[in-house]
Amino acid sequence: MSAFAHVKTGYALPPFVIESVSPDAMRDWSVFLADPNPIHLDVEVVKAKGLGDKRINQGPINVAYMMNMLMTAFPGCRIETMDSRFLDNVYEGDRVVASGEVTAVEGNRISCDLKLDVDGRGTVNAGTATIVI
Amino acid sequence: MEEFPPAPDVAGTSLDGTAIFTITADENAALCKSTGVEPASDGTAHPIYYYIATQVAMGKTVAGVCETCEFDVDDGPMMGSSGVRFAEQLMVGQDYKVTGEILSLVRKKSRKLGVMDVLTYRLRLHPAEGGDAVLETDNVWVLPRKELAA
Repeated sequence: MSAFAHVKTGYALPPFVIESVSPDAMRDWSVFLADPNPIHLDVEVVKAKGLGDKRINQGPINVAYMMNMLMTAFPGCRIETMDSRFLDNVYEGDRVVASGEVTAVEGNRISCDLKLDVDGRGTVNAGTATIVI
Repeated sequence: MEEFPPAPDVAGTSLDGTAIFTITADENAALCKSTGVEPASDGTAHPIYYYIATQVAMGKTVAGVCETCEFDVDDGPMMGSSGVRFAEQLMVGQDYKVTGEILSLVRKKSRKLGVMDVLTYRLRLHPAEGGDAVLETDNVWVLPRKELAA
């Protein structure tokens, strides 16, 4: 019996939570991405650009949170496709929750809707994915 | 009739890279930790490397892509969307190279952002030794054209 026999259309994927987005991680990602954009590193630059008063998480980190949610929900499986739309910024200190819902199960493929929510500000990233189990 | 000039004609611009990108075990572990998970024990890398590897090893920097679009990176390009289709999982220790191209640059007017150019580009990640792509990704960036604001 498949380990995912319980997964049907409408199944809510277990959420993946980051309690507080870390500016230290942003510094690490500026190296991973070879992109030292100061809006991820320097609060004064963020203020000067009129973008708020906290460092802004790199967009791909937000995608990684949703990928982590998928990989935790479907251990040992692989992501085949994924699309995500960037709707708003995530800032240092934000509590973010990645969640999803199964929209179709066809053979060994599971399709899902995904979203990333920030406490108090709603959905900041949304997308879809297909998982091969 | 549009009251602003068309976007630069950049569709087809090559983004083929010459750099080799290798996902090291140490960096993969650090990246996984930074996102709240442990690295996989089967040699696969975090799938977000689809974005990192293609951006780092494409033939232009982000600033260079913006320059091709006659846009100053300091004016703040914004990510609009990102999509990926994996043919294979990414592996720690594997050498990869990138091919790709700009698909389109379309000038639009938005109520929120004013005049903006929507840039779409496609990148593929291949084993460095050659062969079919292990993934293909389409990224969309929004380039606000402050100089064209009414």
